[in-house]
Amino acid sequence: MTSNRSKNGTGMIEFRGVNKWFGALNVLKDITLSVEPREVVVVCGPSGSGKSTLIRCINGLETIRDGDLVVDGQRLGDPATNMTRLRTEIGFVFQSFNLYPHKTALENVTLAPIHVRKIPRAEAEKAGRELLAKVGLADKVNAYPAQLSGGQQQRVAIARCLGMRPKIMLFDEPTSALDPEMISEVLDVMVAVAEEGMTMMVVTHEMGFARKVAQRVVFMDAGAIVESGTPDEFFSHPKTDRSRAFLSKILRH
Amino acid sequence: MLENFSFRTIVEYLPLFGQGLVTTVWLSVLSFAGALAVGIVLAAMNLQRGWLFRVPAKAYIDAVRATPLLAQLYFLYFGLPRLGIVLPELVVGILALSLNSGAYVAEIIRAGILSIPRGQVEAGVASGMTYIQRMRLVILPQAFKVTIPPLLGQAIVLVKDSALLSLIAVAELTRAGQLLASDRFMPAEGFITIAAFYLLLYYGLKGLAALSGRWLGLAGART
Repeated sequence: MTSNRSKNGTGMIEFRGVNKWFGALNVLKDITLSVEPREVVVVCGPSGSGKSTLIRCINGLETIRDGDLVVDGQRLGDPATNMTRLRTEIGFVFQSFNLYPHKTALENVTLAPIHVRKIPRAEAEKAGRELLAKVGLADKVNAYPAQLSGGQQQRVAIARCLGMRPKIMLFDEPTSALDPEMISEVLDVMVAVAEEGMTMMVVTHEMGFARKVAQRVVFMDAGAIVESGTPDEFFSHPKTDRSRAFLSKILRH
Repeated sequence: MLENFSFRTIVEYLPLFGQGLVTTVWLSVLSFAGALAVGIVLAAMNLQRGWLFRVPAKAYIDAVRATPLLAQLYFLYFGLPRLGIVLPELVVGILALSLNSGAYVAEIIRAGILSIPRGQVEAGVASGMTYIQRMRLVILPQAFKVTIPPLLGQAIVLVKDSALLSLIAVAELTRAGQLLASDRFMPAEGFITIAAFYLLLYYGLKGLAALSGRWLGLAGART
């Protein structure tokens, strides 16, 4: 697979010496990481290693204590950065979907485009229907989240993000809350998004997905990035004891 | 025993009871509207992070909930004129019920808003919504649904509390019963009749609650 990484431009997402504490707990330790435009980075590691916190910092769901975090050329925490505006460029897919239960699938997809992006309703609805068709849910346009399976809800959630035409998509364990038979339908949609050239950071343990579309796997443990490499390097030849221990646990079955 | 019970007198007094019922209904409606207004403002103040709005709202809610409604009513009725504010009985009554019920309504609304999962707020934040947009499009429509049943319960309490206004000579339902009791020395007839009317109002509100429940149930079930 050819890499789209530019060698000397600034990254779409740049962590430089980022630290974060929850009370006395150092949840992010001196994180330095650059994600290039169109790059797909998979983040993995044991529970509590700071993976979710890492990507939640990117759209400001969590704030950082020190270091620099620059997203799409804008430094977070800088008074000149309009966070609300920056967030419209960043799609975020949650582990628990977080669809709006009082809105239909289509309304979930069109709500932010209409009210935040100020796209005319008719245009937003046309785009919303196309996106739902794209994630295989053309027949569920008027269904409420409670009437959908977990896999369907997560696909609506992905369509909801795409409706904002973001530059970056972040996925926080998107398949962890799903029944096993629904995982692949969500991964297929994510692969399609990746193949269209979206810049993505994905917290997941789905190795098949990582091998298929990721340019890089980042392994975290205890708040620090311990190892980073191509999926093939990481899965076949892990360099550290901690990553070997982690892989032996998730690959045992 | 029942030979002393005069249905005839009740029928004779029915127009008076009818007027009392009508008064109870409209003053309850106005008071509940007032309570909603007071409650929304207090709940909004109470949900702020800064103490500037939160502390006064909490103090007000505590003060109202810790003191008897009768004491609050007497304060407004006898106390305010001493402070130079003279209002008609009916206005004092509606004011007392609004201010009292508003404190309870505030807590119901606050609980409704806080019952919405954190993930809903985050979904709104992540899609670039402002605080106002999140409240208007995501949180309040969901909170509204969960607050309807307890709000109707509070409305039932308010209707019964409005009986206290008979003590400041508002011609509502209980006052009609008192008049029958004192004019004709027929307390049994007077108070049984108003009990029946209150029961009627209670079933009316309960029916409304059931209807709203069915209507809200249709519009998208919560997961």
